[in-house]
Amino acid sequence: MQTPQFQGTHLFDRLCWAKENLDAVQSDYRVVYEDSIDECAKILVPDPNWMACALQGGILPPVQVYWELAKDEAKPDFVKHTRGHLLHNTKPVEAMTEEQAIEYLIMKDCPQHVWRDYDSGNKPKMVICRKEQLPATREWRNAWKITDELATDETVAA
Amino acid sequence: MAGKIVADQIEHSTAGSLDTSYVVNGSAKAWTNINGSSGTPVAQDSLNNGSITDNAAGDYTLSFTSTFGNANYTHVGMGGNTDTAMRTPCQQKSSNAPASGSSRYELIVANGSSPLDVAFFGVANLGDLA
Repeated sequence: MQTPQFQGTHLFDRLCWAKENLDAVQSDYRVVYEDSIDECAKILVPDPNWMACALQGGILPPVQVYWELAKDEAKPDFVKHTRGHLLHNTKPVEAMTEEQAIEYLIMKDCPQHVWRDYDSGNKPKMVICRKEQLPATREWRNAWKITDELATDETVAA
Repeated sequence: MAGKIVADQIEHSTAGSLDTSYVVNGSAKAWTNINGSSGTPVAQDSLNNGSITDNAAGDYTLSFTSTFGNANYTHVGMGGNTDTAMRTPCQQKSSNAPASGSSRYELIVANGSSPLDVAFFGVANLGDLA
């Protein structure tokens, strides 16, 4: 299905169009990250309707738009977004592969201090894996950490 | 967009009229239905949700695709495991205040209880979008 010309259309209207016209895509990818040594590993799970938008293209704004809005919100005198038009008027991103969509989502929803230098410490702070590589049950969930000895064919958190 | 109707009011043949601003302001701008019974939570259906972050047991962050105007939107939700094991999503305003682009919830049984995993969890958010 061809995406309508959405630049200038409110992003919420685009999402409503996508929900009506696109099939949701349940991704097998998960992003495991640790943003504090005192806390257990967190796991980012992409939303299936969002993934459908990412794969379709022409719907989502560039991820930099979210960074700009976050900068505005971090200001001490922030009351309300005045640059919401960036979400709606910036040229939407083209269709992404599932892997590119995961990278986009990391840059949107994971803390920047995690993904900017995720592999510069003694062990990775962030790992992209498939859901089969995570524990199948929730046992000891609050103790899950990224394993020290990573191998691509092993469980990445335990 | 094709099929666009611009109207300030809608009128029923017998029940009277209504400003469309009631509809716009009163509709949920984001909602997510989550299955938390598997290894990692999965959105079964949603609108305006970008991702779920599984922070810990019974502790989730939902991100929005179309950001709210500020963090003063409202949260409506419920979760459960069995017919009698209801959980309430609690937004931790003091420790993890909501942002315009995301909100974090702990699923608790009662005031002061520890967050617990749930088989089902749903949240809707109402407010003004950016």
